[in-house]
Amino acid sequence: MKKILLSGVAVLAMTVATSAQDLPQAASPWFVAGQAKIAERLAVQPITAKAKNVILFTADGNGVGSNYAVRIYSGQLAGGLGDDYVQPQETFPHAALVKTYSSNGQTPDSAPTAAAMNSGVKTKNGMINVLDTVNVDDCAAGATAGAKTFAEIVSEMGKSVGVISTARITHATPAAVYARSVNRDFEDNSTLPEGCTQKDIADQLLDQMKAGVVDIALGGGRQHFLPAGVKDVEDKEGKRTDGRNLVDEATAAGAKVVFGADDFTALTMGDNAPVLGLFEASHMKYEQDRSGEPSLAEMTEATIKALSTNENGFFISIEGGRVDHANHAGNLHRAVVDGKAFADAIAKAMEMTNAEDTLIIVTADHEHAIAFNGYCGRGSKITGLCMKENPNGIEHTGEPELAADGKPYTVAGYLNGAGSVLIEQADKTFAGSRPDLTEEQAIDPDYLQQALIPMTSETHSGEDVALFARGPWAHLFGGVVEQNYIFHVMNHAVSAQ
Amino acid sequence: MIRRTFLLALPAGLLTLPVRAADDAPIKLRDLYEKDMSFSQIALSRQGSRVGIAGFMAPPLKAESVFFVLTKLPMAVCPFCEPGSPWPDDILAVYAKRVVDVIPFNVPIVVTGVLELGDHVDPELGFYSKVRLVDATYARA
Repeated sequence: MKKILLSGVAVLAMTVATSAQDLPQAASPWFVAGQAKIAERLAVQPITAKAKNVILFTADGNGVGSNYAVRIYSGQLAGGLGDDYVQPQETFPHAALVKTYSSNGQTPDSAPTAAAMNSGVKTKNGMINVLDTVNVDDCAAGATAGAKTFAEIVSEMGKSVGVISTARITHATPAAVYARSVNRDFEDNSTLPEGCTQKDIADQLLDQMKAGVVDIALGGGRQHFLPAGVKDVEDKEGKRTDGRNLVDEATAAGAKVVFGADDFTALTMGDNAPVLGLFEASHMKYEQDRSGEPSLAEMTEATIKALSTNENGFFISIEGGRVDHANHAGNLHRAVVDGKAFADAIAKAMEMTNAEDTLIIVTADHEHAIAFNGYCGRGSKITGLCMKENPNGIEHTGEPELAADGKPYTVAGYLNGAGSVLIEQADKTFAGSRPDLTEEQAIDPDYLQQALIPMTSETHSGEDVALFARGPWAHLFGGVVEQNYIFHVMNHAVSAQ
Repeated sequence: MIRRTFLLALPAGLLTLPVRAADDAPIKLRDLYEKDMSFSQIALSRQGSRVGIAGFMAPPLKAESVFFVLTKLPMAVCPFCEPGSPWPDDILAVYAKRVVDVIPFNVPIVVTGVLELGDHVDPELGFYSKVRLVDATYARA
């Protein structure tokens, strides 16, 4: 009886305390920030007008873990400890976790994930906008099992369409905006199997530009538009074996074609002529190495500016394509530098659009086999060594944590890849131990984080990715959703009465 | 272990040795190029000299050859990124003194040889290179 009575008193006391600002911790900046966040969330109102514009940002391979690494990197680049930094997309009022598995893959690749977002259905690994009743590589079956894309739907509404990527414009994520393919590798005709009647992906882009579906396409991938024997402006040869020069064909069809930062900057956009920017033979450069090519933010700015002249609105798919490639290489430095460039593009889009009429979605297509060690003190560089936390202060002590082998270790690592500590021996077995490591070596731009399983290329993972959204119907995102649901929110937002 | 013991045993007058070693430290492959892929001042100033360059041995194109490609990062072939696996721009062609004894692609090595700059197409392999180390030896870093 006494115990129950005491419990009742405690509950009453707590109720009173939480409704007042006289708690002993009330002056703490943490407490004040928490209260401010409550006020901010209470003020959030759903926007239920029809979306005039939709922008879908995808950073390839930038799942929850990779996004965390980019956040810390960006915060430390800004002079802080990193953890408390807020990326532009992290200010959006709505978020969800996204399940990225494909029809046949616990671990997806970028083809079915992009297809899910662009057509509303999951499909098999390796396939783009073709239903999963079809087998990979089955050109004949694929010809009658294509999905209609969001770009085609909004084009019929009179909206303009832009597709941007720092990967090849024929690579899986951008290709899913405009193409259907039973194999993502059919980027030009040289990879089409004999007898396959499906058009290659570069050819499909040209068709969609001629049809008025795609208005602006910017990325890498010149090699897939030029025939073998013909060299591009950087002396790299085309790959097509059908003798067709799709750059010439695009120009003849009225498109403006540009190849570098200079002609891109000089370009007059927004006069209704389609624009094809092909800034590299293959992928555009990593942001770390970029020279003579526009940044993702610059491409984003020019495209929004040009397509904003359409009073019916636009859909733009914008991909940071190389977070993925740097993760594949096991080189976290280039992954986070490209992740920051991706965030810069998002900031530019936020600045140039209005949340009242533009739905912006920021997500990733899949995660990687990246993982994070502990227990690192605050301010440990995200690409550097895990430093000891300081019990007498905030920032780490500057002394690295040591593993059981007596050696320091980095904050981040990969489960597999080229950074494996197991090295192939002369007898083809694998053996090894962790190399010793200094902070200077770890933060070098070319350093590969240590990995466990030896592989030539680090892999994707099936882990969830985050999604952030603002604008009309962004509130339909919440909880844990399937990746193909993204299409359905976009479609609802542009169709809502 | 042995080297450390040896250095500790050196007379004080010989302690300048590590400083000289630092001067001769291998050049990083990335230091040969500017961002626009033109040659750096370091590369131009060392042309024709014998230099050591750090990097990784890409899996050789041909067995029993004196030729291999040195890469800045381990040549991690990405099956989803590069069908046909084109080479990165910032590589270096190595012509070794002896037939190459392959070192795994992800083991850091230092190659020492005479630095050659300028376009060259290998007459046998057809491999185009902008920069080479010839008469080269190599070892794990």
